[in-house]
Amino acid sequence: MLASTRASVRLTRRSFATAVDVGGLKVAAIDSNQPTVAVTFLAKAGPRYQQKPGVAHALKNFAFKSTADRSALGTVRESELYGGVLSSTLTREHLALTAEFLRGDEEFFVNLLASVVASTKYYRHEYEELVLPAIESEVNALHRDPATHAIELAHALAFRNGLGASLFAAPHTPVTATDVQQFAASAFAKGNFAVLGSGISQSALAALVQHAVSPKSTSPAPTTSATSYFGGESRLETHGGPQTIFIGFGAAGAPAPELAALAAHLDPNPSVKWAKSTSPLLAGEKTSVQAVYLPYSDAALVGLLIQGPTAAGVRESGKAAVAALKGASGVKAEELKSAVAKAKFRLAAGADGRAGVVAVLGSKVLAGSSETSLDAAIASLDKVTSAGFTKAATDLVKNKPTFVAIGDTQALPYADELGL
Amino acid sequence: MAGPLGVSLAPYIRSSPTLSKLFTPVAKWYAGGSLYRQYGLLYDDLLIEERPEVQKALSRLTPRQAYDRQFRIKRASQADVLHAPLPRDQWTTPEQDVRYLLPHVQAVESELQEKAKWDNLDVKRK
Repeated sequence: MLASTRASVRLTRRSFATAVDVGGLKVAAIDSNQPTVAVTFLAKAGPRYQQKPGVAHALKNFAFKSTADRSALGTVRESELYGGVLSSTLTREHLALTAEFLRGDEEFFVNLLASVVASTKYYRHEYEELVLPAIESEVNALHRDPATHAIELAHALAFRNGLGASLFAAPHTPVTATDVQQFAASAFAKGNFAVLGSGISQSALAALVQHAVSPKSTSPAPTTSATSYFGGESRLETHGGPQTIFIGFGAAGAPAPELAALAAHLDPNPSVKWAKSTSPLLAGEKTSVQAVYLPYSDAALVGLLIQGPTAAGVRESGKAAVAALKGASGVKAEELKSAVAKAKFRLAAGADGRAGVVAVLGSKVLAGSSETSLDAAIASLDKVTSAGFTKAATDLVKNKPTFVAIGDTQALPYADELGL
Repeated sequence: MAGPLGVSLAPYIRSSPTLSKLFTPVAKWYAGGSLYRQYGLLYDDLLIEERPEVQKALSRLTPRQAYDRQFRIKRASQADVLHAPLPRDQWTTPEQDVRYLLPHVQAVESELQEKAKWDNLDVKRK
């Protein structure tokens, strides 16, 4: 019995097998013997690539509406009968359409995703009756969440266009169903999206995809320009939410592992739940501080997000945060060691879940990179040296800072008051 | 049960070349004789509005279509008050008399039918 138990335990694989090309479409899968399967269609269709503001957000919410095969209602009810879950996720660079379901239902769900990609109708009435209310509620939720809002504003300041484009459409967006249709045609053009599976073998997924998907190559894929970092200051008067400031710096170019280590080094939160941190960042009463590290294909944003009930507490933490950001270059060897270990754990733990695997490795598959394992990313963190870290930290804070304040702008500090 | 469009033999007549040849002139004469065109209306302006399906269909018109519909109905009401048809240059021509609302009503009807189908589905284990 023990032997059979051991035999059934398999190591969870952390990397996709090499992506295969099925008719101009990259297909990659990873099977760790889970009871459920997830198939993701990952397209380079984030707001970074949009021509009109908000169209990527509209496309995300237009997923799983009427197609040539079935209506929006039919899609939902039929998936419910199979017990599957359909979801669409938008990041700044990618749009992921995901179906999660039980083993054995692969054919239905791959066909469903294929029809969503190929033949969604983009009806005007569906846009107005189903998509716009969903957009509106997400925008309302954004306006009630100062942390997310601060990160959105920080991106706009840091990268302006491209990566600076908001994940959310503006309230009363000027986007029409025709705009969404045009964006979708370019987003799901040949070579612009990949199929990623987990819990399904590569050959099975490739066979299903070959049968179901025939990407059109008529529309050109959406384009974007290389990112550069700008920085700046933005203040937004709101009431009701916690006082929020974001202090950060960005760097253009492929994100260096040193920045991940820096974010881990800056994080003042203790590793043990309920433990009391001695970090000066958390000196303010009930003030919370989160280290933010957001890597993209050709830029990264590193910073600290500070939230608290009073502007005075946030100001104290903000001063400590600026000191920590500026003093990071003088890191001690053992501090660097623990920061690297923390960064490695975060990377690995993030890629543990199903969504994490797609988020971490999907873009590499889509970019046609041969290196689709997590080991390489972890190994690059191992190579972080004290000198390299100091240089990266010094270069980072030489840039113009990105500063966002949301809440009581009368009382919240300005960037120069914090010593930026 | 008859939908908002009522019982119609039109699809059957249209499917038969002989019948449609026989009935087309009659239909044209009837449409011209029923006077709504002389009041500047389109046929779909006469569709009974007080039904959820048609209300939903009306909400799906483009702003321009909805505006034009309101204009035609107001103009016809005014002409009715005056007990006289519109001047001849404002009459609806047969080419202008398109079924702008019909496709929307049919779409709403089929959506409701589909919803009823899914609501009353008998699921069998394979």
